[in-house]
Amino acid sequence: MRGGWGKLLEVLAGRKLGKLSGVLGAFVLIFVASCFISSNFLTGYNLAIMARDLAFIGIVAIAQGLLLLLGDIDISIGAIAGLCAVVCAKLLVDYHLNPVLAMAVGVAAGALMGCINGFLITGFNLNSLVLTIGTQTAFTGLNLLVTRGRTIVGLPENVTFLGAGSLIGVPIPVFFMIGVFLVALFITTKTVFGRKLYAVGNSREAAKIVGIKEDNVRITAYAIAGTFSGLAGILMAFRLISAQTAIGQTWVLPSIAAPVIGGIATTGGIGTISGALIGGAIMGVIGNIIVLGGVDVYWQQVFNGAIVVLAIIIDSLTRRIGKKA
Amino acid sequence: MIVLQANGITKRFPGVLALDKVDLAVNSGEAHCVVGENGAGKSTLVKVLTGLYRADEGTVSIGGTAVHHGDPAFRAVAYVPQELNLFGHMTVAENLFLPFDQSGVRSPIFSRRRCEQQALAYLDKLQMRASPGDEVNEIPVAEQQLLQVARALANDKFQVLILDEPTASLTKPEVDRLFTVIDLLRREGKAIVFITHKLEEVFRLNDVVTVLRNGQLAGHSRVDQVSVDWIIKRMTGKEVDLEQVYRPTKPPGKTLLEVRGLAGVRFQDVGFSLREGEILGFAGLVGAGRTEIMQTIFGYLPQKRGEVRFLGEPWRFRDPSYAIRKGLLYLSEERKAQGIFAHLSVQDNVCSLLLKQVSRAGVLDSSKERAKTRSVIEGYNVRARSGEQEIEFLSGGNQQKVLIGRTMEASPRVLFLDEPTRGIDVKAKDEIYALMKRIAEEQRVGIVLISSELEELLKCANRIITIYHGQIHGELQANQLTMERVLSSVIGIGEQPAPPARA
Repeated sequence: MRGGWGKLLEVLAGRKLGKLSGVLGAFVLIFVASCFISSNFLTGYNLAIMARDLAFIGIVAIAQGLLLLLGDIDISIGAIAGLCAVVCAKLLVDYHLNPVLAMAVGVAAGALMGCINGFLITGFNLNSLVLTIGTQTAFTGLNLLVTRGRTIVGLPENVTFLGAGSLIGVPIPVFFMIGVFLVALFITTKTVFGRKLYAVGNSREAAKIVGIKEDNVRITAYAIAGTFSGLAGILMAFRLISAQTAIGQTWVLPSIAAPVIGGIATTGGIGTISGALIGGAIMGVIGNIIVLGGVDVYWQQVFNGAIVVLAIIIDSLTRRIGKKA
Repeated sequence: MIVLQANGITKRFPGVLALDKVDLAVNSGEAHCVVGENGAGKSTLVKVLTGLYRADEGTVSIGGTAVHHGDPAFRAVAYVPQELNLFGHMTVAENLFLPFDQSGVRSPIFSRRRCEQQALAYLDKLQMRASPGDEVNEIPVAEQQLLQVARALANDKFQVLILDEPTASLTKPEVDRLFTVIDLLRREGKAIVFITHKLEEVFRLNDVVTVLRNGQLAGHSRVDQVSVDWIIKRMTGKEVDLEQVYRPTKPPGKTLLEVRGLAGVRFQDVGFSLREGEILGFAGLVGAGRTEIMQTIFGYLPQKRGEVRFLGEPWRFRDPSYAIRKGLLYLSEERKAQGIFAHLSVQDNVCSLLLKQVSRAGVLDSSKERAKTRSVIEGYNVRARSGEQEIEFLSGGNQQKVLIGRTMEASPRVLFLDEPTRGIDVKAKDEIYALMKRIAEEQRVGIVLISSELEELLKCANRIITIYHGQIHGELQANQLTMERVLSSVIGIGEQPAPPARA
């Protein structure tokens, strides 16, 4: 039984498959059910659509997941993505910068914005939710300032395939997402920094007592989250072949909901990055099958919201049961 | 007339028998003092009497009728807890009457003026200086403590007033005011239950005293028929069984730590030294400043004045990571909040302190992690299913052994253990005592043991320093160690005069 697959699953689950089996089971169940609900569900075309959507939501969910593990939350994650997309697009279109360099600068801008969040939160001992509501507005404002509200068009084709193209039938952003996932999985399970992340998320005081410099850990986590968000924003611009100020604006809620569905507690210290990704996949499948099932467009948001609420309730109930055991 | 009575109260917590068939009868017009060491069961008894806890066995009667958990009759019992629990950002008057259903202020419409007017009577009763409109955060701590008493008085149904160590942060004039009010209440026929550590207060109230020890009734008498010695004897119980002493026996080595004139949050002018292979006990009441002293040296709390030398070198008060690098480690009394990472595995808990040892260039080496965990589990006799088990699901004693084990893997020279056996069952306590002795004798670590249990200090420490109100009150050598002497010093009587009363 404990063959290569079991091992692989264990690795993907971040050492503890046990904790994830519920979410994974839910995903499989929803996926199989969806196959029966609509004959259009299990088609290459539809799967590709889902995969491409998941790629973007998945990346920001992983980014947010890292912060939720700390017990923090970043509302500015979408605004960072949008501003990074604009920075990268402007460098490409107006300054004809080397595409690799332009992407690097765009992603670095994301890291910088993450650092700003981190420095302000740790330096002034601020609540992350409140501070990032502020910076979200500021970053969106910068975006409008740079673009004057106009869409930047004319992105060169030699980069846009990274967002719009496919490789052996798989949308290219999916490969980026897998890359981000593997990096985040490595960070959280195999590095000293990852252990510090979980430790700070469990108890800041206990972390300080074992000599962990909590502020450094948090700032680094914000920087990583900013980097990932920036990458997602840039890929979205490539996919749209233009940088619009709207990029990232709808990402914040799913970025929080996906990790929570996947078992990361908003209070920090519990859950895995794999969970965040599976949570994103569950949301993606449900969103997709609602459309295919012919549910009224105006009901879709209600459904999505209800699923998030349900997930949080289930999470809370299982934790209470776990305590009693 | 008996207003409040407890019969055969037994209360168990996981692994601990907090109260064992305790009886108590409180008469109207009487101040009933309840004394006992930390952990004797005073607070648990109070929580049963106020209806916060449900007793496992036994009954509580109020005014002659048996009451059950959740009974509204418990409103006749007003309670002033030991720690402040006020709404800091609300006014004195609002705090006094919240939640507005037990007092004179009883209307769906809140009138600030009426509320503040009615508050005056209660504030006058305690001769408080604060005005009803003051924000609670801005009045002195002593006034806050009195406000808590006033709040209990505002409950218009109360027949019994329970005060849990109400004088802990009061200066003499305020204590006098409080006692005046108690006298007044006694004359009005109210009953008072007065929990205290300070025996002089027992004699000042001069009514009835009940002594608790290890959850059992250890004595009960009218105060005018007993002496201080009688009470102390009953608080401490039998002499420590000499068969079970865990004091390190090898002679201590060179000096590891020298502290001179150290001052910080809630303590001043502290000096002591610690040598290799000895266990130095720190006794004192909760809140006397023992924890703060050690946390300041450890770099967790800010230092104000004074110096420390570590192995002869000047010590820098930077942060815990500096102290850990140098070989000075601290184990907190708050095991849940400052010790374990509850949701992480035993292995992650062990390695959190040893990240440098189990990694290379920031990447973890899982075989080293497992090896460290195994050596802690085996070397410190931790009963866990495996290193993967979440530490939350281990017993308190086993959690503590994990923490001590991981600390030892960091090769400390000096170890501060803050209440290392709090909330741990008796058998696990003995294991931890044996562990401390082994660490001191074999690894030659200098151990500071902070404990509120005198028995523990007497069993384990080579020397005991007593702290009273943030200052060193006395130092006792092993050959002078008896329960009575240490306890006298802890509660501020004994060889030296009490320190000047300063805020």
